Amino acid sequence: MSEETKNITVAINGKEVEVSPKTTILRAAREAGYSIPSLCDYELLAPIGACRMCLVEVEGMQRLQTSCTLLPVNGMEVTTESDVLTKARRDVLELLLINHPLDCPFCDKSGECDLQDMVLKYGPSIGRYTEQKRNIPSSYEDPLLATNMERCIACERCVRMCDEVQGVSALTMVGRGEETRMEPFSLESWDCEYCGNCLPACPVGAILSTVQMHNYRPWQMNREVDTVCGHCGVGCQLVVQVRDEQIARIDSRTSLGINRGLLCSLGRFGHEYVGAEERLGSPMIRRDGELEECSWEEVIAFVADRLTAVKEQHGGEAIAGIASPRCSNEENYLFQKFLRVGCGSNSIDSLSRLGLAAARRVFEDLLGSGALANELSAIDACDGILVVGGDPTVVNPILGLSIRQAAGAGARVGILGRASGLDRVRAVSMAPGVERETAVLETLLAEVAKERGFSDERVEKAMDSLRETHRAPESPEEGLADLRDLLRSAATLAIVVGPELVQRPDGHRALAALAGLAHCLQARLYLQAEGANEQGLVDVGCEPDRLPGGIPVADQAHRQRLEGLWGGSVPVEPGLSLMEIIEAAGTKIRALYVMGENPVFKLPKSSLVRKALESLDLLVVQDIFLNETAKLAHVVLPAQAWTERDGTFTNIEHRIQRSPKAIAPRSGRADWQIVAEIAEAMGCPLAVAKVGEITQELATVSPLHAGLDAESLDDRGWLVRPPEERPPGESAAPPIALPLQEPTTNGVRLGVERLLFHAGTTSRHSPALLKICPEATAKLSVELASELDLEDGDRVRLSTAQGSVTVPVEIDASLTDHRVLLSNHFENAGVLGLLDYSLHPLTKAPALEASEVAITKVEAAEE
Amino acid sequence: MEPLLLKNTDQPNSADLAEYQRIGGYRALKKALEMSPAEVIEEVVTSGLQGRGGAGFPTGKKWEFAVRATGSPKYLINNADEGEPGTFKDRYLMEKNPHLVIEGMVIASHALGAQKGYIYLRHEYPTAGARLERAMEEALNHGFLGDSICGTSVNFDLEIFRGAGAYICGEETALIDSMEGKRGQPRLKPPFPVNAGLWGKPTIVNNVETLACVPIIVDIGGAAFAEIGTPASPGPKLYCLSGSVNRPGLYEAPMGTSLRELIYEYAGGMRNGHRLKAVIPGGLSTPVLPAEATDCAMDFASLVEAGSALGSAGVIVMDDTVCMVRVARRAAHFYEVESCGKCVPCREGTGWLEKVLSRIENGNAEMKDLDLLQDISDAIYGNCFCPLGDSAAEVVSAIFKHFRGEFEAHVKNGVCDLEA
Repeated sequence: MSEETKNITVAINGKEVEVSPKTTILRAAREAGYSIPSLCDYELLAPIGACRMCLVEVEGMQRLQTSCTLLPVNGMEVTTESDVLTKARRDVLELLLINHPLDCPFCDKSGECDLQDMVLKYGPSIGRYTEQKRNIPSSYEDPLLATNMERCIACERCVRMCDEVQGVSALTMVGRGEETRMEPFSLESWDCEYCGNCLPACPVGAILSTVQMHNYRPWQMNREVDTVCGHCGVGCQLVVQVRDEQIARIDSRTSLGINRGLLCSLGRFGHEYVGAEERLGSPMIRRDGELEECSWEEVIAFVADRLTAVKEQHGGEAIAGIASPRCSNEENYLFQKFLRVGCGSNSIDSLSRLGLAAARRVFEDLLGSGALANELSAIDACDGILVVGGDPTVVNPILGLSIRQAAGAGARVGILGRASGLDRVRAVSMAPGVERETAVLETLLAEVAKERGFSDERVEKAMDSLRETHRAPESPEEGLADLRDLLRSAATLAIVVGPELVQRPDGHRALAALAGLAHCLQARLYLQAEGANEQGLVDVGCEPDRLPGGIPVADQAHRQRLEGLWGGSVPVEPGLSLMEIIEAAGTKIRALYVMGENPVFKLPKSSLVRKALESLDLLVVQDIFLNETAKLAHVVLPAQAWTERDGTFTNIEHRIQRSPKAIAPRSGRADWQIVAEIAEAMGCPLAVAKVGEITQELATVSPLHAGLDAESLDDRGWLVRPPEERPPGESAAPPIALPLQEPTTNGVRLGVERLLFHAGTTSRHSPALLKICPEATAKLSVELASELDLEDGDRVRLSTAQGSVTVPVEIDASLTDHRVLLSNHFENAGVLGLLDYSLHPLTKAPALEASEVAITKVEAAEE
Repeated sequence: MEPLLLKNTDQPNSADLAEYQRIGGYRALKKALEMSPAEVIEEVVTSGLQGRGGAGFPTGKKWEFAVRATGSPKYLINNADEGEPGTFKDRYLMEKNPHLVIEGMVIASHALGAQKGYIYLRHEYPTAGARLERAMEEALNHGFLGDSICGTSVNFDLEIFRGAGAYICGEETALIDSMEGKRGQPRLKPPFPVNAGLWGKPTIVNNVETLACVPIIVDIGGAAFAEIGTPASPGPKLYCLSGSVNRPGLYEAPMGTSLRELIYEYAGGMRNGHRLKAVIPGGLSTPVLPAEATDCAMDFASLVEAGSALGSAGVIVMDDTVCMVRVARRAAHFYEVESCGKCVPCREGTGWLEKVLSRIENGNAEMKDLDLLQDISDAIYGNCFCPLGDSAAEVVSAIFKHFRGEFEAHVKNGVCDLEA
């Protein structure tokens, strides 16, 4: 945020202060150290001057002025405390208490209630109101949000938050006069995004969360810890409030982080998995086909012995590892170091291969390493935003909010494909069907490049495939001209790329076209990331061909430097990538170590994945739950969850933030510790005793992390900036044209739906999220539903060549194409396992085949 | 004086275009279209016309601000949400003289460069709505409205927007919010509507009577208009007389006509020989005046000096049979019901006022409640977001100040002296 010129001088209580002309007197006074009480003012919202608590005296003005709406003029003399003001504030409070129930003893807000604090300070101690108070029944209809509108003081902060900031407008004020109160438009269960941003906005106890109802009082908290959310790649700052070593509540503050205190449903309500009963307790080893509990000593020795045996028998390259975006930089760093120097394998990858890691590689190869160094806050300054490849309001909700807010400030938002969370703010949208999106992007690139006279190498590269295979649209497609106008007219363009593109057979071409557009239009590129630390694991070396700092394995000088630092040798040849590891399991790959990941459920073609993993000599799964993959493991190692151990995470804008330990671990050991112990037992000590030492080592080893000091990180973190920008890569061969999977039949196709209320599979263990989104549904359009004679709630079996699941139908009016969408979060109801894939030769991502799906209605008796 | 605003309105077909044209209607429009917009505004400035909605802001000045405002399109809104108790002048104008109102708007649109206009009509005025619709259709068919007005390049599209019944929507920013589909509540100013009004565009909001004065100004000239009334408050004025008078009704008289003349000459004096007790001179929201104040001239400045305001010129006359505690309670009830709920003093205070006044009226109060009543008024007055809450406190305070004895009698005797 740019510092505005402070060129106005005002006197506040006799003290001269310099302020910007846009800073209200309320804020200016607070900056100058004077506290002015206010109830309707809120940092993220435009002032409305309604509560009348922030009144001040201004020399030369007859009436008292509301400081929240008062802008400074030179020479203004303001008094913030006087007998007159104290009386005016006491009067307002007496009026507010007419209808506010004095039920503080059992109000959850008590102890952090603005009204309570103010009445304590200004009085009155006795009310003179003797008539009937208003009577409005409390509402507990909603699974997460309870309202007590007798407490509502009509400051409208919740309504304004929902409207101005969240862009959802689920709430409104109703009633006139003293009957004025907030009401959700949906009346009972709220029809909203469950961001809960109205909760901290409420200054009293009118809106409360049932997640910790009657179980939270500020004075009962043992401690509060500021940390970074572990659910997605945005890396929001939040506050963990701890009672008896349990997370009692997730809070947020407008002063904190790039998210400015805004959270999404996952961040605010999705923490209960940490304390879930079903967390793994003790380590387990499979004996006679059953997983049996054992001691840590036993399991460490067992894994070390078996890995050593595989290494001796088949060579280190027979061992592979899958890293985790839920784990910290330190954990992922140590993991890849262990695989490289401990096991002697470069076959380390992650499920980011299906998302950020693969997309990033395409962009960096074409544009250089600086192409993606864009801060989220810069979206505010864009006047055009192109969204493609997925809905940012679902994948990275706070990134989505930035787009909504930019749109509110006048930016034009164009959507290619589907992003229903942006429907209300979009200026242009085009949904030509997933098979046509690449052609649209290539058409736009060809036009823009021609118009702007670009014919350089980067555009050439991006357009190579275009020349060979692109077919111009037969007729002008609806929306194309509008989209082109949006791109052309934007002075500052942002391109926000979702994870879907990478997962398409022609994804590399779509990405190359976007790279070309970004280059020609000087656009800011933003990549969405489903996992919290996808960027981090790439940076610390969890890729088969890249060492920490993103240095190619083939870089001999660097590799040798690393070997010196690490005291062991690193294989010369790049390892296998994610799907190559799976495909080679049981043959070239004999042992697989999975840290904090669930490939059986989260990769396509689960029958193949399952079979591959079953054929391994050793499958080690380190996790906090006995997930689908852990159930197949020879060894299960219980890890620690978010907030249970220290570490740093890197978000999508390349910002490193600290995730400190906030509570005592429920069970398990830190991922890095387990890895270190196994390495030690294998006779390859990694020489780390605490996590800070790993951060220090990372800062020494990786040029990207040079200068990183985890101890000094505040809520703004530390931005990774490459010491020198790498030019477009040598490997940026013209994107290879994969045969496009044009639909050959008119059958219904299966697509992946991403859900706002779930992330990966941990959200299965968060009751609050399950209350608002309890099960997977088959989403289909109104037309398709009527064609198949299906109604909401009908149970259907979705069958592909890979398998089948049975789920209820949900008709979604925002869908237009001939697809049925299914999410990938719920047990026995994941979409990915039903999809086939082909390995993309360039990105090494599994390109999901648009599988045809048979839909059959299942009667209750059949189940 | 010869009626200007109410000219011909005693004729049964005064709302017809033919009748309106017969007495010179739309002559001013043709004249105005031959003038430049700046010249029209100059005439309005010269006329000294002040807004007839209540605030009395110089119309010419408002128009000058509007012309300077950047942004397109510009909107002209005719505030016909006549909600002030005791006021019925705009209703009468729209029912009896709709073409004058339309002509005023078309001239204003030419002067201001506003191509889109709305009449924000009070929902409770169905007859006015029907007459306006018919008049608009006639005007459209005769080239006085729509595209290429009178064969010139001036276009003006006019539409009626019906309010949903909230008193606060007579306040121009609340009116605009309600037109945008929002809850009608006053907006923070600045920005003022002339700079950022409807949909954030420059918007001029004028009262019905104000706009009806415009054809007269163009027709007779600003200078001649300024000759009528007083130098500080020129022009003809519509006064709404109601209450304890012999001939309640709407009267056109020069600005500055005395209250006495209006009551005793225009309205035929006090009903049934009763004695005058009190007058609310400018609609409910203006402080009550005692009988002794009847020599006051009914213009903006004189009434302020007398401790009240001209407001909407809704003159509510009360005689010695009227219980002033009851008047205060009913006034408070009105504000309680109409408080928009935005700011605390008005939202919570008006209801409390009403409840305390009810107890006093019903004889369930103690003497200390009279102090409480004053305290509540003081807590409200001066601390509200918009004038609605201030009015409630001011109106109750003024009645209490002038007629405290009646309040004390209610407390002491437990019943109204007038009924005892």
